[in-house]
Amino acid sequence: MPRPKRKAAVPTRSSDADSSARPEPKKPRGNQFNRIDQLFESYVNKTLGLIDPEGIEALCNDVNVNHTDVRMLIFAWKMKAEKQGYFSKDEWRRGLKCLGADTRPKLKKAIEGLDKELKVPECFEDFYSYAFQYCLTEEKQRSVDIETICELLNIVLKSEFPNQVNLLVEYLKVGKQLFKLIYVQNDYRALNMDQWRSFYRFFKEVDFHDLENYDSSQAWTVIIDNFVEWLKEKEKN
Amino acid sequence: MSSQKKRTFQIEAFKHRVVVDPKYAEKTWKVLEHAIHEIYNHNASGLSFEELYRNAYNMVLHKFGEKLYSGLVTTMTSHLKEISQSIESAQGEIFLEELNRKWIDHNKALQMIRDILMYMDRTFIPSSHKTPVHELGLNLWRDVVIHSSKTQARLRDTLLELVLRERNGEVINRGLMRNIIKMLMDLGLSVYQEDFEKHFLSVSANFYCLESQKFIETCDCGDYLKKAERRLNEEIERVSHYLDPRSEIKITNVVEKEMIDSHMHTLVHMENSGLVNMLVDDKYEDLGRMYSLFRRVPTGLTVVKDVMTAFVRDTGKQLVMDPERLRDPVDFVQRLLDLKDKYDKIINMSFTNDKTFQNALNSSFEHFINLNARSPEFISLFVDDKLRRGLKGVGEEDVEIVLDKVMMLFRYLQEKDVFEKYYKQHLAKRLLSGKTISDDAERSLIVKLKTECGYQFTSKLEGMFTDMKTSYDTMQGFYASQSDVGDSPSLVVHVLTTGSWPTQPSPQCNLPSELLGVCEKFRAYYLGTHNGRRLSWQTNMGTADLKATFGKGQKHELNVSTYQMCVLMLFNNADRLTCKEIEQATGIPLLDLKRCLQSLACVKGKNVLRKEPMSKDIAEDDTFFFNDKFTSKFFKVKIGTVVAQRESEPENLETRQRVEEDRKPQIEAAIVRIMKSRRTLDHNNIVAEVTKQLQSRFLPNPVVIKKRIESLIEREFLERDRVDRKLYRYLA
Repeated sequence: MPRPKRKAAVPTRSSDADSSARPEPKKPRGNQFNRIDQLFESYVNKTLGLIDPEGIEALCNDVNVNHTDVRMLIFAWKMKAEKQGYFSKDEWRRGLKCLGADTRPKLKKAIEGLDKELKVPECFEDFYSYAFQYCLTEEKQRSVDIETICELLNIVLKSEFPNQVNLLVEYLKVGKQLFKLIYVQNDYRALNMDQWRSFYRFFKEVDFHDLENYDSSQAWTVIIDNFVEWLKEKEKN
Repeated sequence: MSSQKKRTFQIEAFKHRVVVDPKYAEKTWKVLEHAIHEIYNHNASGLSFEELYRNAYNMVLHKFGEKLYSGLVTTMTSHLKEISQSIESAQGEIFLEELNRKWIDHNKALQMIRDILMYMDRTFIPSSHKTPVHELGLNLWRDVVIHSSKTQARLRDTLLELVLRERNGEVINRGLMRNIIKMLMDLGLSVYQEDFEKHFLSVSANFYCLESQKFIETCDCGDYLKKAERRLNEEIERVSHYLDPRSEIKITNVVEKEMIDSHMHTLVHMENSGLVNMLVDDKYEDLGRMYSLFRRVPTGLTVVKDVMTAFVRDTGKQLVMDPERLRDPVDFVQRLLDLKDKYDKIINMSFTNDKTFQNALNSSFEHFINLNARSPEFISLFVDDKLRRGLKGVGEEDVEIVLDKVMMLFRYLQEKDVFEKYYKQHLAKRLLSGKTISDDAERSLIVKLKTECGYQFTSKLEGMFTDMKTSYDTMQGFYASQSDVGDSPSLVVHVLTTGSWPTQPSPQCNLPSELLGVCEKFRAYYLGTHNGRRLSWQTNMGTADLKATFGKGQKHELNVSTYQMCVLMLFNNADRLTCKEIEQATGIPLLDLKRCLQSLACVKGKNVLRKEPMSKDIAEDDTFFFNDKFTSKFFKVKIGTVVAQRESEPENLETRQRVEEDRKPQIEAAIVRIMKSRRTLDHNNIVAEVTKQLQSRFLPNPVVIKKRIESLIEREFLERDRVDRKLYRYLA
């Protein structure tokens, strides 16, 4: 997962407000729930009431998965975590319930196997969009910078489309350096959700060996049109 | 009991036993037969019509109709056989005459016979379904005489030969021809067609095929067309004189096919005399002839139109892309107008104002005018030239004519918004320098633009006129309010409403101290009456009149721009100044300053300053001196540079960028408008709709439209459908 930016301000979230408004159940709901909460407590930042980046690092160490690993991102998705670098209690509960893990070893095992969660295409699309969403840190932010996009592409799509991802990353990055070339994108320093989604669709639907059939009137995003132009030029040389 | 039928009483018909003379029929027939002979022998006068009629009548009455009829057939046939032989034996020229004579005779005879046998004609013949007498007579004539083995071919050949001779210039006996042809027609349309017309047409086809081939090889296009036209007219005349009128269309089709259709392309593309040459040389008559001839064949006019269109496009394209022409915008536009005038005249004089040709001409113009991205600018410069001086002294009607022509070119422009930008700039300069020849002409053009493009196009332009008027009133008020004018320079201020005038960022330059006083007074006056407004001097747009005295005491009045005034006024207090010093003192931006200094020091006849070194370019440490030795034969010398002129390349680029920027919100507004009413729409349809909505201003680039859509998606005005990525949805 891309390195979260540390923010001075603490995000306030309604889910937190919710949980604090809900009265504590008189009886514990069962051991499982208890254990999940206990695990949460083991990583939580006491002042914030949330697991913060340090806590996440500790978790990563425990489950022996790097924090940049795609499985951590999938974990965040399972939790429907809203804020990069922080997990709330609700989110934690949701995630662990979903994984069916209430102890550290179970959690470790579950996280290790998370990449299998994406085999179903509908799930993958949801996750794919989530990955972008997760990078939007500011209130009104709608786009994510190119660097982050490239990292994200590598994490999320490389296993399925290694060749295509390499080419796209090359194109996006080269654009930043060489603005003069007309077919290299120099319009975009950051990309939005619509463009992000179009990458996955493009990889799925268009065969890179058969670019002649690409039809630019088919409502692909402009950045994809330009990318195809660049690919064609590249092939010629 | 015996049953016996009661006998009904019957009255039997009276049977009159007529004893018929067995020889009655024979005898009666003989009388009639004899009569027929006499008739054919031109001896009819001795016969009694009444008697003969009665005899015929009786025969029919007594049921001898059959005998009468068959007798008639036999007799007539035998007479006709004789006649046929006599015709066959006629030599040479006499053949036709003989045929004609005998035909006339036969008709007369037939008439008489028919009259005599009228009772049979009316009673026996219909009931026995036999051919009536008259018709019988014609059929027999046809079968026995005309279709006799010798006569049939000879008749045909004779007729065709006569036609050929006539075509070759001989005079023939048209009356005789007419009679013979009429005979064939009387015998039945199929006889006329089979025995004559069919062959006539095929022989004519051959004839014209050969002739046209010969002409094509020897004549130029114009002559060929004349000949073709002549032949066509000849044939029409021939038909009217001696052929069946229904043949006209057939023979003209033959001529058209052989002479025109087969050689269309050769004619049109003939070197040195083809269509293109005719167009270039304004050969109205030849063109008119080509038009009326080619109109007769399918696709004829299409060929002409296509060649003309291609040529006009080519000519226009060359004109528009010629770098020489691009130096002089007024000339450029004038040539376009001349080209249009030329072809309008051709279409009017030679092509009967044919609408399809008009349309083709319009589409050609639309095509090549837009090949040059500077056309809008140049058309505005042309208008500027006309309104500043070109139309000076021209009558009102003629002014309207010129403006209408300009409007016509304007209509062809795809990028009307670019024209608007330049027009505004040029109009501003005209108004501010007071250099328009006629307010009425200006307003007239604005009205025309409004009619063409709607009021939004012209509302700002009208605002500019209003500002001028208001400023005039303000100046009156200002001077009325100033009790003591003193010897401060007289000031004329135009107050411009920011939104209406073309914006040009104008950094303040340092006005000479002599002016500051009166400028402040004006500012105070204006703001006193218009609270809450802000005024900023547009020093790049003003003019000044300076009184200058030179070395030998010669005085001149210099008409200069504000910048130039600031520079010149410095020399009241200094004899020499470098470019850098001037820049610092006046605060004029360097590029403008350089231009300004060039106009003051480097132009012959206007060099009120002297420059060292004498080069044309201005470097920062070039030194300038007041030119004591300046002379001019005019008292008033105009050095101002506020006249509208063709933009330099970088300026042009800048304007274009601004236009592109202006277009973005217009495209977005169109997209939102469309999506708001349609709710969901697919990509290609949006592009088409947007293009349609904006076409009166400019032609939007589909890639730009796509980018705007994406921007609107990002800002959540629209969303892309989850399932069908080509579909967009409006988000309320």
